[in-house]
Amino acid sequence: MDSLSFIWSVLPVLLKGLVMTVQLAVLAIIFGTIIGLIIALMKIDHRPLLNWFGGLYTWFFRGIPLLVQLIFLYYGLPAVGIVLTPYMAAVIGLSLCGGAYIAEIIRAGIQSIEKGQMEAALSLGMSYGQAMRRGIVPQTYRRLLPPMGNEFITLLKDVALVSVITMVDLLRSAQLLNQTYFRPFELYATVAVLYLILTSIFTVVVGYLEKKLTLPE
Amino acid sequence: MIQVSNVSKSFGQLKVLDDVSLEVQSGEVVVIIGPSGSGKSTLLRCLNCLEQVDDGLINIDGQAVRPGVNYLKSKDIYRLRQGIGMVFQRFNLFPHMTALENVIEGPITVRKTPREEAVEKGLRLLDKVGLADKANAYPGQLSGGQQQRVAIARSLAMEPKIMLFDEPTSALDPELVGEVLAVMKNLAKEGMTMMVVTHEMSFAKEVADRVLFMDEGKILEDGKPSQIFSDPRHPRTREFLKKLL
Repeated sequence: MDSLSFIWSVLPVLLKGLVMTVQLAVLAIIFGTIIGLIIALMKIDHRPLLNWFGGLYTWFFRGIPLLVQLIFLYYGLPAVGIVLTPYMAAVIGLSLCGGAYIAEIIRAGIQSIEKGQMEAALSLGMSYGQAMRRGIVPQTYRRLLPPMGNEFITLLKDVALVSVITMVDLLRSAQLLNQTYFRPFELYATVAVLYLILTSIFTVVVGYLEKKLTLPE
Repeated sequence: MIQVSNVSKSFGQLKVLDDVSLEVQSGEVVVIIGPSGSGKSTLLRCLNCLEQVDDGLINIDGQAVRPGVNYLKSKDIYRLRQGIGMVFQRFNLFPHMTALENVIEGPITVRKTPREEAVEKGLRLLDKVGLADKANAYPGQLSGGQQQRVAIARSLAMEPKIMLFDEPTSALDPELVGEVLAVMKNLAKEGMTMMVVTHEMSFAKEVADRVLFMDEGKILEDGKPSQIFSDPRHPRTREFLKKLL
């Protein structure tokens, strides 16, 4: 069988893996962003205990390689009675780690907003929470898009790491096919191309959103 | 209406307010002048608790502000600020909201005013500052003078009893100063209690009931504009006014 017809014949299997990769990436982005926002707000809060916790969180989850975190979640935790499915371990690991990076992005974004904005909101009689929610955070969306887009693409690529905890993502499905057919060149080249297509779509979407969120002047 | 008793405030080693006392009656327009760094802005910012005083007592419309209150988390202070409008040098409009959205933001978020009612009032206020046709413009599409007028409307939307103006025209091109001062003059005519930090001496002469001269954290002079401008008692006031002319 020539290369192209081989790739064509295994493509449905690879696409199934690709769907899993996208699914994990989307979940990690959603949960990671929620975690990131909470941790970022903790870090800029005026209560020292929350600052401390926020700092601890990023220190911990950014300081340990994601690969190690995933292996620990899946292979380490059962020893203390916590058994996670590979899927759960993957989502939790990616979200916790992604959250740490996203927290730093959001924190920097919020702190880049001029101090006068908070003062204007407070002087209307808003509480600190209202001022953040209505006045400050919505202003950061446009500024956050480029670094967030970057982080999302990183997360998408990091999903490949879950192949070590038996998740059948795009990479793992290629590895499994390779065990049967032993055609690594075609298989991994296809994986690379599929990743490129995915990240390109992402880049286009982020660029479109950036344009859409730009305020008229 | 406003009572400030022996208020002091330091930033590190620098004493920006040094045992300041003053009283402002309802309906009075008080203009504060003085060299930069004299504590004028800090005094205004202490009045609505954007800065915390170190010492002394502020009483606004029966509500006391004491040192040591957590100015970010106190519900009393949130409520106090609702009754005090503040206009900033840099406008500080929310750039992600249109002019109208800026104006209705306070009533809707803080007062829970129904949207329709807030919009109706918001449009009236924009009309009052001469910007009815700019309701749907974003701050980035407006001139500095227009932005500042929207900012005034935004403050008025909370129906404050007191309006504080912190150098409202200092960031404006000279030709745009007039339109903002005109809006402020109207407010003064309507009987609004106002405290204005400004370098616009013509405004002080024309509109103020009283002029305060501040230097190095102290109020050195407090009197009618006619007296301060024609016959300043303190040598520092004289020196300051001479430099301006």
